[in-house]
Amino acid sequence: MITAENITKTYNNGKTEVLRDVSLEIVDGEFVVILGASGSGKTTLMNVLSGLEKADGGTVTANGKNLSEMTEKQLTAFRREYVGFIFQQYYLLPHLNVENNVKMGAHLAKNDAYREIIAAVGLESKLKSMPSELSGGEQQRVCIARALAKKPSVLFLDEPTGALDEKTGREILDYILREKEKQGFTAVMVTHNQNIAETAQTVIRMNSGKIVQRYENRARKTAYEIGW
Amino acid sequence: MLVSVKDSIKFIGVTVVCFCAVFVCTFFLNYYLDIVPLEADISEDVMPLYKAQLATAQMTCGITGGFLSVIAVIMLLFYIKLYIDAHGKEIGTFKAMGYSDSEIAGSFTVFGLGAFIGCALGFGIGWTFMPTIYNQLAIDGLPEITVRFHPSLLFALVVAPAVVFTVLAYVYGIIILRKPALAIMRGTPTKTKKVKHKTDAKNRPFLKEFCLSALGSKKTLVFWITFSCFCFSAMVQMGLSMENLASGTMAVMILIIGLVLAFISMFMAMTSLVKENAKNIAVMKAMGFSVRERFAAVFVGYIPFAVLGFAIGTVYQFGLLQLMINVIFNAVGEIPAYTFDVPVFFYTLFMFAVAYSAVFAVYLIKTNRIPVKMIMTEN
Repeated sequence: MITAENITKTYNNGKTEVLRDVSLEIVDGEFVVILGASGSGKTTLMNVLSGLEKADGGTVTANGKNLSEMTEKQLTAFRREYVGFIFQQYYLLPHLNVENNVKMGAHLAKNDAYREIIAAVGLESKLKSMPSELSGGEQQRVCIARALAKKPSVLFLDEPTGALDEKTGREILDYILREKEKQGFTAVMVTHNQNIAETAQTVIRMNSGKIVQRYENRARKTAYEIGW
Repeated sequence: MLVSVKDSIKFIGVTVVCFCAVFVCTFFLNYYLDIVPLEADISEDVMPLYKAQLATAQMTCGITGGFLSVIAVIMLLFYIKLYIDAHGKEIGTFKAMGYSDSEIAGSFTVFGLGAFIGCALGFGIGWTFMPTIYNQLAIDGLPEITVRFHPSLLFALVVAPAVVFTVLAYVYGIIILRKPALAIMRGTPTKTKKVKHKTDAKNRPFLKEFCLSALGSKKTLVFWITFSCFCFSAMVQMGLSMENLASGTMAVMILIIGLVLAFISMFMAMTSLVKENAKNIAVMKAMGFSVRERFAAVFVGYIPFAVLGFAIGTVYQFGLLQLMINVIFNAVGEIPAYTFDVPVFFYTLFMFAVAYSAVFAVYLIKTNRIPVKMIMTEN
């Protein structure tokens, strides 16, 4: 479970307030979408919840550990053990082939079955291809495989379909949703796309650094049912 | 102007190397030009000493000046390449807007300024040391040599290098800019290289794989790390060994030049190593790789090359000193016994280990400060 209580975060020596008294709770196995326009504070909230950065005020607890009191070293160890990331810009290591990029995640979880994950994302024929030889969709699938190979308890996704065309975007989203159901990890996705929010169990809407709405989707849609 | 004078000042490596090269060449060439006309006045018994002095001047200029000039050229090209890689977006935008390659490359000529400053300082400061050096090189029996100014040297050591470096910066800029605007903006190669897919590659641990592939993709960095260790090893050992063979001033000069070169090239290599790996390090950090693992992935692969550089430097300085002794003292007629200086070797090795561990530690701290959120905010 991830709990955030009264989180505040400022930049520019306190001049820019990015998060204002944010409190939320995410239960294990839940799929939460943090929805908001650019500048609403959604990415900062995700960074704070995942231990990528520390809040200025308030507490964040994940898996019973208080992230607010952790040192950088402890946060690194926390991310290593519990967290997976899927980035909008993929951030694959350019000099490593598909297999070794996925191995990067597998190494941390001592997971020898990473080739099965590569096969599951449909890239077994591109095992030795370099990132520069792959399409955007393929690169994102490598990024997903890398994150899943790490066997995360919580998967954080930052606009995972933001750089993809509709067809590829739907495929990728569908794959993530299926894997989430299969493996049962908690997923926290940041997006500005209202349609994608319809696939989540819980939607947290943010505006100007505050949570302005939180609701449960009664009928969740699949990646192929939502508008784009 | 795309490249400002402020940008050119950052390219201090070229300035320093040009300074060292011109500093050494100024007094040895000046000395050479001043003693050549004296040949007719030299008596038979002093002639070997006179010839030895000529040979020393020629050789020092040839070896130091030539070696450093090549390094300065390599540094300049490396800097321009780094500059274009780092400012791909701006340069690509200029190109996309319709600026011609020659207009963009024209702004690279400002890099010639760094070379000019180095050469001018080397020449000027070299001149202030001239009387001291002439005293050091004075030999009983040789007539007193007056320091004379040779305008041709000013041209050859200051004007010509500045012009050559300016033209070189322009031409290299034109060559590198022969890519489509988008390719420059994205930092992608013009032609897709045929990548060799090693299907039978060994199933190595991730960190080893990262390390090896990073080395393969950053050959220029491998060169600079090896080179900086070569400079340290060769110049420090040469400086310390030369104390008994030449004047103390020469030994100190070589030692200082060696240390300056070693640290400049090491600084360049490590800075670009960290810069080029910043995103990779941030991703590794975000995923939870520990400091030790990040060090193993990013830095450890370069250690064998550092050791290799040190070994080559050791062999090089020994061979060069042997050669110099044979050439110079052959003219005098008496070749002194010279053997490999084992204590100096171990002393240098110890200094090398301490200095480079410190450099690695500093840069490791630097990488540790790379914010993980840089990958979350950059598009």
